[in-house]
Amino acid sequence: MRIRGFFLFRRYSVLTFIVFLLLSALILMSLRVKERKGVDFFDAFLMELCSPFQKASTFVIKTIQNAFQSYIVLIHLQKENVMLKQKVVELQKENSQMKEMAYANERLRRLLAFREKISSSVIAAEVIGQDPSSWFKSMTINKGEKEGVKKGMAVISPEGVVGQILKTAPYHSTILLITDYNSAVDSIVQRIRAKAIVEGKGENRCQLKYLLRSEDVVVGDIVVTSGVGGNFPKGLMVGEIRKVDRKEHGIFQYAELVPSVDLTKLEEVLIIAESPLPPQEDKAKKIKKSPARVSPKKK
Amino acid sequence: MKRMAFSFFLGILFLTLQTTLLSSLPIQRIRPDLVLILILYWGLSCPPISGGILSFFLGYLMDLFSGNSFGLYAFSRPLLFYLAQLFRGRLYLEGSLSQFLFVFLFALFEGFLILTLLFAFNPVPLGNLYPLLFAFYFPQSFLTGLITPILFLLLRKVFFLLFPQYGIGMRERG
Repeated sequence: MRIRGFFLFRRYSVLTFIVFLLLSALILMSLRVKERKGVDFFDAFLMELCSPFQKASTFVIKTIQNAFQSYIVLIHLQKENVMLKQKVVELQKENSQMKEMAYANERLRRLLAFREKISSSVIAAEVIGQDPSSWFKSMTINKGEKEGVKKGMAVISPEGVVGQILKTAPYHSTILLITDYNSAVDSIVQRIRAKAIVEGKGENRCQLKYLLRSEDVVVGDIVVTSGVGGNFPKGLMVGEIRKVDRKEHGIFQYAELVPSVDLTKLEEVLIIAESPLPPQEDKAKKIKKSPARVSPKKK
Repeated sequence: MKRMAFSFFLGILFLTLQTTLLSSLPIQRIRPDLVLILILYWGLSCPPISGGILSFFLGYLMDLFSGNSFGLYAFSRPLLFYLAQLFRGRLYLEGSLSQFLFVFLFALFEGFLILTLLFAFNPVPLGNLYPLLFAFYFPQSFLTGLITPILFLLLRKVFFLLFPQYGIGMRERG
């Protein structure tokens, strides 16, 4: 009987393993849905394991892009005049490097100026990877817990709001972009001071939710952060309204906005490490009281 | 074991390419899902236990680097792997068209599966995701299917070159 049982187990061991693996994935999923966190240590370990590959790959891609800009564009000139081409290549390379430096300088200067302008203490970080899937919108950056980055911290750029920290590892973190459908930022329409929640719409678009129908919102209106919740400082630009849909009935109207930051071309970001608003204890109390602060969305 | 370690690093390489190189291309909004192609290739050529573990890990890594906080890929990727295993030996997958169709349909299936799971876990309706399905996911699945024959061929050659003892072809046993 025992021998028969053993053979039965052998026969069904693969099936048992498949069921076990899929069940584990389901359990993990339900845990994540409930707690909104995974196996922290394991996550951090895997992130640290893979991020150097991303960093190296980004470096190689950037180098190749630079080389491409410097050399490949000029290949056909070689046919006309080799000597001239060599000179042009050298100048072009130098020019390209200088341009790249100038662009980087300009970006960093704006970043620095912006950093000085906002009162909070900030951490500058470089984007090293994008979201591997099409459904979600996130980015990987080269700063993590060791530099003081924590979950929920606001991420901005001189142009405006980028998103907030979703996952952290010792030296790397993941940002949930404002365009992700899971993101929600408490905001106000700058001109008329109407309160609303900016939610991600997936593809470089956001939508304004809970915007009262009576509010006179028009295309071109600027939306800024309200400062409620303490994650984002008040008055940071979120985006510009591109479409308003005021229906005949209902208490809310719908508006679509384009983020002020071009999230597809983002290379450097700033993380707000220290909130200018309430200290931790007061903040916790406020969170309990305020149902509007839902970022990232908690169901 | 060597084959499994190599497959794991290949998975990390594909994931890295997906998050960096493909994202930097002008068509980054509709980029092919290299990791999905690799998992389906494993489904057709790897043994169920090691392949299942690899698919689970790769799905887990995808969840880690994406804005998805539910762990959807850690579930969907091994599921797709085992579904591919079901078709292993039952379908003719040596031709480019059949490989394209195979991956295209699996990519679409995964899209619907993720949407279903998202709807199941989100009490708030996610109407925003419907347009994404047609505007991006459909063309992306198509593109993923298009590059599949080339990638399958490359993977087959690489695996045969490194591990000739396992044979060549979709029905090889590991």
